[in-house]
Amino acid sequence: MDKNKVLRILVVLPLYGGSLPVGRFCISALEKMGHLVETFEAPDFYSAYNAIDDLKVTSDRHQYLRNSYLNILSQAVLAKVETFEPDMVLAMAQAPLTHQALKRLRKDNVKTAMWFVEDFRLFTYWQSFAPFYDVFAVIQKEPFFGELKQIGVNNALYLPLAAHPDFHKPGELSPVDIRKYGGDVSFMGAGYPNRRLAFRKLIHHGLKIWGTEWDGDHVLEPYVQLGGKRVSSEECVKIFNSTKINLNLHSSINADELVSGGDFINPRTFELAACGAFQLVDKRTLMPEAFEDGELAHFESLEDLDEKIGYFLAHPEERDQYVERARARVLKDHTYELRMQTLIDFTIERFNDWPSKRNINALFDNNFPEELKNDIVELIEKLGLPSNVTFNDLVSAVRSQQGQLSPLDTAVLFLDEWKRIYNR
Amino acid sequence: MKRALVIQLTRFGDLVQTKRLVLTLQQRGFKVHICIDSSLEGLARIIYPACEIHPLIAHGSGIEGQGKDTVLPVNYKIFKQLSEIDFNEIYNLNFSAMNYALSSMFDPQKVKGHKRINGQVMKESWFELGFRLATERRNNINLVDYWAALSPDMIPADQVNPVASSGGKGIGVVLAGRESRRSLPYDVLAPLVMSVRSTIKNKNIFLLGSKAERDAGRKLMSKFPASVADSTVNLAGETDWKGLVEAVTGLDLVITPDTGTMHLAAHLGVPVLGFFLSSAWCTETGPYGEGHTILQSDIDCAPCMEAAPCYYDLKCLAPFKDSATARYLATRKPEHLPKGISIFESGCDFLGTQFIHKAGNDPSGERRQRLRKFIGCHLGLIDIGEHGPFPNLAEKFYKDKDWITA
Repeated sequence: MDKNKVLRILVVLPLYGGSLPVGRFCISALEKMGHLVETFEAPDFYSAYNAIDDLKVTSDRHQYLRNSYLNILSQAVLAKVETFEPDMVLAMAQAPLTHQALKRLRKDNVKTAMWFVEDFRLFTYWQSFAPFYDVFAVIQKEPFFGELKQIGVNNALYLPLAAHPDFHKPGELSPVDIRKYGGDVSFMGAGYPNRRLAFRKLIHHGLKIWGTEWDGDHVLEPYVQLGGKRVSSEECVKIFNSTKINLNLHSSINADELVSGGDFINPRTFELAACGAFQLVDKRTLMPEAFEDGELAHFESLEDLDEKIGYFLAHPEERDQYVERARARVLKDHTYELRMQTLIDFTIERFNDWPSKRNINALFDNNFPEELKNDIVELIEKLGLPSNVTFNDLVSAVRSQQGQLSPLDTAVLFLDEWKRIYNR
Repeated sequence: MKRALVIQLTRFGDLVQTKRLVLTLQQRGFKVHICIDSSLEGLARIIYPACEIHPLIAHGSGIEGQGKDTVLPVNYKIFKQLSEIDFNEIYNLNFSAMNYALSSMFDPQKVKGHKRINGQVMKESWFELGFRLATERRNNINLVDYWAALSPDMIPADQVNPVASSGGKGIGVVLAGRESRRSLPYDVLAPLVMSVRSTIKNKNIFLLGSKAERDAGRKLMSKFPASVADSTVNLAGETDWKGLVEAVTGLDLVITPDTGTMHLAAHLGVPVLGFFLSSAWCTETGPYGEGHTILQSDIDCAPCMEAAPCYYDLKCLAPFKDSATARYLATRKPEHLPKGISIFESGCDFLGTQFIHKAGNDPSGERRQRLRKFIGCHLGLIDIGEHGPFPNLAEKFYKDKDWITA
């Protein structure tokens, strides 16, 4: 396959949760790579799903209604597949795709990929769903790979998280934002037990804690920002960029061990680096293949962390050296664009028939009227499409636009329908 | 001045059947623009002289290749012109992907009928109800009224076309419609035409049709006795739109299947004698206005689906072959009418054009009348306090969604 070929990818977002921003970065990266992306906006359906919880009905009815609603969402994804005819359905963890829908997609020979950006030990539902995806991308290796193999998943791909440099980038903040988001030492993330225990001993550094699930901790409560509300991706970048030392302590449900020494690398590691923000991060077993020594500043224990906070606050020039090296490495090896390319390459390698050949219809063939070329080229540029885009892909991009269309958009869409009706 | 755009991208007959809507809009003070396939431009200018006509390429016939050098530049130019006109209302009439595409160019709030909003295609609630009503095809309403009811303040049905009356110029015979199954073969048609001719003073016959039907005209004439053939003129393929209008104007009668020329005759006030079989049903697409007669095949499988094959050896054709039908046409006495054909005559009521059963078999007639009142109340044309309620019809045709989200 031509590696530069424009693919049609339907990204199915989850209703909510940590993989939602990851999904949005994937969409942005795929679009930047020139692919045609449609999104199933599951979050738009979340409030109705929540409303079912307020019904106060019997348990069996409640279950039935929730399952029925999720079935509707799955049907909506299938309807979108039918219309958009994607080369791939890329689902993020917790995407609303039922077993039945996944079976349907397989039967219809629509390739499905799941990027499971969760800890397989904590989020164990993968056992039921992974075999129904054609590609199952994960952020951990062994023993997860072995377990996936045992349940018949032969196309597992290690695909660590990443950063999106168009979004995660250094930036100047306004004085108001610096006052609000800035500080010497900050932590952004959920209140897992290991973090709660650790941070109680770090409050003397003027710690600012951002994120959810910190309630009920009287010691830390005064340091939790915005009342423990969910922090948007945009706010995260502001926090990262206006904090001297960003703490990055990977989560663990085990309060006994501060530094769990687990395997996967969290998204914050890549995002902080891409922002050009300094971080103190715990070591992970999968880290050495992602970062060289000297690219990230690590800590081994709570005492070590406490000490290094003091040290790096006093040595800004050393912070800058780490920042520079980490950012260069992420831009080189750990962007969502690179991850998406890896996923595409892997799928090509595993499936000889993918992507299936479409009825390619070159846009500027000999019959194309000269007087229209300039207008069409402008339209292609406006839509962010490659100059060698096919007619069918141009139509898809026009279709995905919102609001009223221009006369040229309409003429392109109209021609497509005309061609379908008269088999041209 | 207020401006309305009517998008009518289908065929000859449909363009004529848009008349009640166009007249209604004009009466409401709109300058009406009509967007049609370019093949119908001449006809549109004749039928709707006060309208602005925007001819684009929506049909496939006569267009070679993939359309980039033909469809795209022509339509782009038209779309640019349309986008520069500030339309207050846009009536998008056809359930077609091309219509939906075209509606994308306009503010969805202004579009009536079929529209595409942020990529999602949707139907006006009246059209949704119309699609449900069409499941009872024998009781369905006339397409003219279906389109006109998109607008408020429809002009009265009897003001759309003149009451049909003989013009003294002889008989017009339409040779075939677009769907061959809907038309009588020439050997079945010939005795019926001669039978009708025996009742008309002016014995001239004018065969009407396109170039493709010229040969069918010759074959029909071959079935006539020499004296009849001598007074027959085969105009098939000889007329442009203007010529066709001239040929039909002033005729005593037009004998026809369900065709565009039939609607043109109704527009001109020429009485229609329609032979409706196969997928054609008079209450849906019969000639509009008062004074037309339809011989309607009423066998159990009628009306069928146009696109579906016939598994019954076109049994709806058999009664037209029966010599009794010719006898009926000569005498108009119901006792001569063979089984399998019913007679309907057109008239106007509060809703539009209706077809009144005159002879034969019409088991759903009572329900059809009730359904018309139900629709009349729905559209606010008659008072539900006086004519309603209609619980059974409402249960069938109103959906939960209508009640919950209207």
